[in-house]
Amino acid sequence: MARTRTTKKLAQRIDLNYFKRPTPLSRAKFWLSLLLPLLALLWIGWRDLSGDHRVYSSGRLSQAHAVLDKECSACHVQKAGVFSAKAADSACLTCHDGPTHHPSQVPAPDCATCHTEHRGRINLSAVSDQTCAGCHGNLRASYPDSSYDAQIATLAQGHPEFAALRSVAGVPPSDPAKIKLNHAIHMKPIRRGPNGTLVSLECGNCHRPMAADADLTYSDVTYRAATVSYKDSDEFLPIRSESPRRPKPITGRELMAPLRFANACAACHLLSFDKRFDEGVPHDKPEVVHAFLIKKFQQYISAHPGEVRVQRDPGRDLSGKPLPPQVRVLTPSQWVAERTAEAEELLWRKTCRQCHSLTAPQSIGLPQVANANVRTQWMPHARFDHDTHRGFSCESCHPKALTSTESSDMLLPGISTCKICHAPGPGHADSRCSECHTYHDWSKRKEVTPKFTLPALHTSGR
Amino acid sequence: MRIDQSHRGWALVSLAIFAVAATVYAIDTLNAPQGPRGGSTVGLLFGTIGFGFMIFAALLGARKRVPTWRLGRAQAWMRGHLWLGLLALPMILFHGGFHFGGTLTRLLMCLLIITVVSGVFGAALQHYIPRIMTSDVPLETIYDEIGHVRTLLREEADRVMDAVCGNLGFAKSSMEETQRAGGFTALRPITSTAVPLRTSAAVSAGASAAVAAAPERILLSKEQSAPLRSFYVCDMRPFLEHSKKAGRRLGDPASSSSAFAGLRTLLPATAHSTLSDLEDICDEARQLARQETLHRWLHGWLLLHIPVSLALILLGAVHAVMALRY
Repeated sequence: MARTRTTKKLAQRIDLNYFKRPTPLSRAKFWLSLLLPLLALLWIGWRDLSGDHRVYSSGRLSQAHAVLDKECSACHVQKAGVFSAKAADSACLTCHDGPTHHPSQVPAPDCATCHTEHRGRINLSAVSDQTCAGCHGNLRASYPDSSYDAQIATLAQGHPEFAALRSVAGVPPSDPAKIKLNHAIHMKPIRRGPNGTLVSLECGNCHRPMAADADLTYSDVTYRAATVSYKDSDEFLPIRSESPRRPKPITGRELMAPLRFANACAACHLLSFDKRFDEGVPHDKPEVVHAFLIKKFQQYISAHPGEVRVQRDPGRDLSGKPLPPQVRVLTPSQWVAERTAEAEELLWRKTCRQCHSLTAPQSIGLPQVANANVRTQWMPHARFDHDTHRGFSCESCHPKALTSTESSDMLLPGISTCKICHAPGPGHADSRCSECHTYHDWSKRKEVTPKFTLPALHTSGR
Repeated sequence: MRIDQSHRGWALVSLAIFAVAATVYAIDTLNAPQGPRGGSTVGLLFGTIGFGFMIFAALLGARKRVPTWRLGRAQAWMRGHLWLGLLALPMILFHGGFHFGGTLTRLLMCLLIITVVSGVFGAALQHYIPRIMTSDVPLETIYDEIGHVRTLLREEADRVMDAVCGNLGFAKSSMEETQRAGGFTALRPITSTAVPLRTSAAVSAGASAAVAAAPERILLSKEQSAPLRSFYVCDMRPFLEHSKKAGRRLGDPASSSSAFAGLRTLLPATAHSTLSDLEDICDEARQLARQETLHRWLHGWLLLHIPVSLALILLGAVHAVMALRY
């Protein structure tokens, strides 16, 4: 007979106590639900008992503080067995000094307001723009008398043009340097010295970062080895001292080294003074040059006493008729004085004046050379690193260098050039304030007393 | 639970909560100098709400333990579990500002993500699998009894074979004399002409209960029954013992039907009703295997969801306490 199925028979095959027996699925569910939380609890307990509180950390510490990962108490002050939720400033100041931004700043924010830890291996000094904009977004609200721009939110929003490029009282900006340099001529093929070949200069032939070796293609060994009597203060403008200084030692590749005559000019600009000598005068103050000339001519006349007989020039009259030879016989001192005067006439009126501003010779007969006033730092409130921008050609940021004919021309690129690359959003270079500016005035830093010992740092205590 | 129109209210409320939370988070992010922080007022608010949602979702398990208590409808609890549990993830992401933080918080985020993703996966399975179960397994039985019913089916098949081919020597259980696997009852005489109600094949085909009277079984000679014995020993009984094992041709309805059709050509017509019974038993065993598979899909994800969510609640509480201390 065929199989028959009735509800009754179907029910009969079911054990009415089936629900009392756990199935493998329910058994597994029960044990897993018991074991997994238990395992989690054991893990937490184990980490707690072993004194490793990192498990409760809200994130990894920054690279600079990575060694303190296990040292919660280094920053979180413990009171009555309970750690403080926030790191106290006193904990930061144990290792770091934090000079104020401006003496008039009140109140100074907590360290953690700007430097937020437990965000992973970040650069803790690279604070967000919002921390700066907290004040600079509306500076007048806190400091009505401030001379700085009042509403700067970000580089893209409110940042003014560089101070060096702004007109002051209708006067357009200009380079204060007193060295006469025609960039346009130097960037075209130019003769290397009076009888030299044509050469094409590159920016790097003259301009190099401070820490980089100078390009000596157009240098002169004699001038490089010579000592000079003028000081840096005669050549370069001082760096403004009121600006916050950088905390880290500079690499020396950030700013371009100021040009030196010996390194970049001497090979072409010969300081010749007389046809009797191959060498030129020292690149020095007029007094030094004057002494050098006298000494040179004295030595020369001693070696060549016959030259005190000087044939008068010209050898023909104005109509071209030859004149009889007329010889003057000078004393050696007369000869030296005449030759020196001739050489100085050449130097003061032409050779030196080609680059320097000279005042008229004073009663003692020597001119004054104006200070070069070369500015080595154009942005006192910010830092710029040429080295990080070394991949870009000089003229891409300084296009005016190719056409500038006056040394007063401002060749500093404007902030719009920076904004080409430094802009918010992906595909752009970082544009945070901290890229160029520093908050603490490190010129006012104080030394701290060390607290940690190496073995303790790697175990558990101070 | 099916995700249907009845969820509309919960879905809209959840969407509104999410929109408000996202707006608050965006405003907080724009105004916080160092970005959103879990320890800020807004961050703590998100953390508290998120943890509250998790606690509520976890209470569903407790609610099921006391079905008779007047604590609201079970369906409302389940809907709340689904939607608030889902909302816990964005709340906690807002709480942490999309940072996973330290060891414990990273572990918590992983547990939360596993819990929510497994929950969503489970909800999708709960939405679709019951329909598949209804269509594929009309002879569905209680899952816990599947093993027992399968034993009964095997013993019934042994009995049928013994009746047609003589004793094949398979062991019989003590229950065999009194109970069959839902087929014809042992209490009824073999020669009786009881009207069968429903065969599994008929149920599968959606047919009515009425089936023609069954003829008596006739013992076949050894030569006649040889193909059937061979088929039973080599194919059918191993299938009934391990119906889930891959490679069994009876596991596939088409192959099974083809195998039985071939046997019908080899056996006398008097044995065809026996073959139908055996085919019927195979069909039921196949459905039980299918039911087992679907049941595992339907509930297997809970093996991950429940333990992980419990660990999440436990560690979340530890985090809440310790985060307020540090």
